[in-house]
Amino acid sequence: MLLQLEGIQKSYGGVKALRDGNLSVSAGEVHLLLGENGAGKSTLMKIVAGIVERDAGRMLWNGTEVSLRTPSEAAAIGIAMVHQESLLAPHLSVAENIFLGREERKAFGWVDRRSVVTQARRLIEQYQFPLDAEARVDRLSPAGRQLVEICRAIQHGSSLLIFDEPTSSLSDAETHQVFRIVRDLKARKMGIIYITHRMDELRAIGDRVTVLRDGNTVYTGDLGATSTEDLIRHMVGREVAAIYQREHLAPGETMLEVRDVSVRLSNLKNVSLTLRKGEITGMAGLIGAGRTELCRAIFGIDPVDSGEIFVNGEPAAIRTPRDAVKRGIALVTEDRQLSGLALRLPIAANVTMAKVDKICRFGFLDLGKQNREVTALGQKLRLKAASPAQLGGTLSGGNQQKVVIAKWLFGDARIFLFDEPTRGIDIGAKAEVFELMSELARNGAAILMVSSELPELLQVADRILVMRQGRLAGELPRGATQEEVMRLAVMDAAA
Amino acid sequence: MKLTQKLLPFLSLIALFVALSIASPYFLTANNLASVARQTAVFNTMALGMTIVIVSGGIDLSVGSILGLSGLIGTMALEKGYPIPVGILVGLLVGTLCGFANGLMAAKLRIPPFVVTLGTLGIFRGLALIFSNGLPVHRIPPGFSFLGEGNLLGVPFVVWLLVICAVAVHVVLEHTRLGRYAFSIGSNKVASIYAGIPVDFHVVAVYAIGGALTGLAGMIEASRLMTGQPTAGQGYELQAIAAVVIGGGSLNGGEGSVVGTLIGAFIMGLLSNGADLLNISNYWQQAIIGAVIILAVTLDELRKRRMA
Repeated sequence: MLLQLEGIQKSYGGVKALRDGNLSVSAGEVHLLLGENGAGKSTLMKIVAGIVERDAGRMLWNGTEVSLRTPSEAAAIGIAMVHQESLLAPHLSVAENIFLGREERKAFGWVDRRSVVTQARRLIEQYQFPLDAEARVDRLSPAGRQLVEICRAIQHGSSLLIFDEPTSSLSDAETHQVFRIVRDLKARKMGIIYITHRMDELRAIGDRVTVLRDGNTVYTGDLGATSTEDLIRHMVGREVAAIYQREHLAPGETMLEVRDVSVRLSNLKNVSLTLRKGEITGMAGLIGAGRTELCRAIFGIDPVDSGEIFVNGEPAAIRTPRDAVKRGIALVTEDRQLSGLALRLPIAANVTMAKVDKICRFGFLDLGKQNREVTALGQKLRLKAASPAQLGGTLSGGNQQKVVIAKWLFGDARIFLFDEPTRGIDIGAKAEVFELMSELARNGAAILMVSSELPELLQVADRILVMRQGRLAGELPRGATQEEVMRLAVMDAAA
Repeated sequence: MKLTQKLLPFLSLIALFVALSIASPYFLTANNLASVARQTAVFNTMALGMTIVIVSGGIDLSVGSILGLSGLIGTMALEKGYPIPVGILVGLLVGTLCGFANGLMAAKLRIPPFVVTLGTLGIFRGLALIFSNGLPVHRIPPGFSFLGEGNLLGVPFVVWLLVICAVAVHVVLEHTRLGRYAFSIGSNKVASIYAGIPVDFHVVAVYAIGGALTGLAGMIEASRLMTGQPTAGQGYELQAIAAVVIGGGSLNGGEGSVVGTLIGAFIMGLLSNGADLLNISNYWQQAIIGAVIILAVTLDELRKRRMA
């Protein structure tokens, strides 16, 4: 056995990312690693590659226990990772990138450029990659960059390679190229761990499979003996953290309609949907499926290349977030600290941000009115804060989210796009956020709720749209199961 | 504890004041204090404009050149025979236009304001030298000296001006939509855009206001020297930025106040005056002021880190 992981645990600041991670890989095997967003796949692989250290558990490499503290320690014993996002230096050549940090130095620290290029050529020829050793990396396609990453990883005789969703940004032809390389490496008796979300590509390359859920290894077996249905069943079924029941009302008229919208920048293709008054429309999908990108397109952040958006039945040319806000659309972003809240400003300034005019006369602020209204709103949302003057950055995650919601309530928004509304929020506050969303719906708002937390989505949403690779993969009614959602999220509609 | 730390710049100012009163018998005289007020008026006025710019997350390195250019063109108008108030307005207008250009480029070209104003630092100075042929303007009506050197009710006229400007900028920052947006943009630009704030418009406005105040400072400087120097104001940008930063303004944006900036400018003014009175060489003054800037910002950072 090349690599064996037993009972690996890892926490990040009190949050358990891994509880019981088990995995074994032998030479000449392609081992697939599956799991929902946040199941712990990446953390487990980072531990193998020496990027993070485990808290507990055993890692055996060729039968002896090892502890890796840095990626270079991992590289030294023959473990390398092909990263999902390119970590290359774009202005350097392919050859320079392959040997970056590992150049043979001559006297006085000079780097022998010619020998670097020669070595790179030899490596590229050996694997028959379609790569020019002297090309600049920023001129390469995503697939080309992936190849450079692979070269970097295998360059000094690694015996275990980790691929983290290598095909997520590649075309079909490029995907087949990556598959060919994976098979070739396998034939050379390397061990390969391959993280993927795409059910259609699993069987093309995998030998064995391990499924992670909530930080635990829940299944390991031969791929040939496991049905796709079983895999999905193992992936879903996460424990439900908080039970939330909401009454479901008959939806009213359509408030937002997205018709056939495509965005080249973010790879959205022909997405259509409607949001109706009083309805919470859920949106599921894997990371990178285009959910955040859809919100960005509706809100006027990314330019829409084709298709139309209608607000209250009228065509709306939304080119900037300002256009969207004017039409009563609110975006509650997934990253509060970066794009939702001004951390160094008081709560009052945050809450009034989207409609300062309400507390303004001839350009002058009515601070008394501001504090009255903000205090009243804070009480309504049960915001835990000392005063409207408290700084946004000093609040807890849940209370920060309430401030963001208060901002849009104060801004008289009617159409709400919630992107991962419960991220980084504790369980108690989650229920309060759901209650707020229900209240909004009851009062006639239309809501899109994007979430990677399937149980939450199934509890809160009136119906669920599923996205996959930039397209709408399907719609499920209320009462759908996690399996049904996951099937749409990972499989081709044809399959 | 939080309050004493917030008061730290103010307490330093008082301590400096007391120390100088003890160290030099000439310090606490009406003449000297009036001279300090006049000396710092130019920096103070510029620093007020810089405060709004820095609060909005920007920076203006070109204020020294704006000061020179507006002082020059203002005095050129006086030389042509225009009445004194018109000449002062011309100077203000030139400053406003310079700030407007800075803001427009910072907002629309999407290059960092540091780079934009580094460029215009050269451009505005070059324009001043081109317009004047490198020669100062001397033929100025004597009445113009009142702006920088005159007294009103026994107090230097510039002090009245400074008080008016300070109150106005304070009101703008704390009590108007414009000021609120400046804080908002400076604290989180992305969130401001997403909240529908017309960010570009307000960035331009902020730089234009900063430019107007710098234009006024340029006219005060010209009045004190009774010349329009094309080279006036060289290096002043550092003084203005330092005043804001010593007073608790953050170069990351979203923080800063008029009171803080005034204290910062007076600390630097007193240091410079005290060094003169105590016969400390000009060379040392520069080094001392530099050290004070680092000290003040370090203390402020420590305070913020403890709060976070």
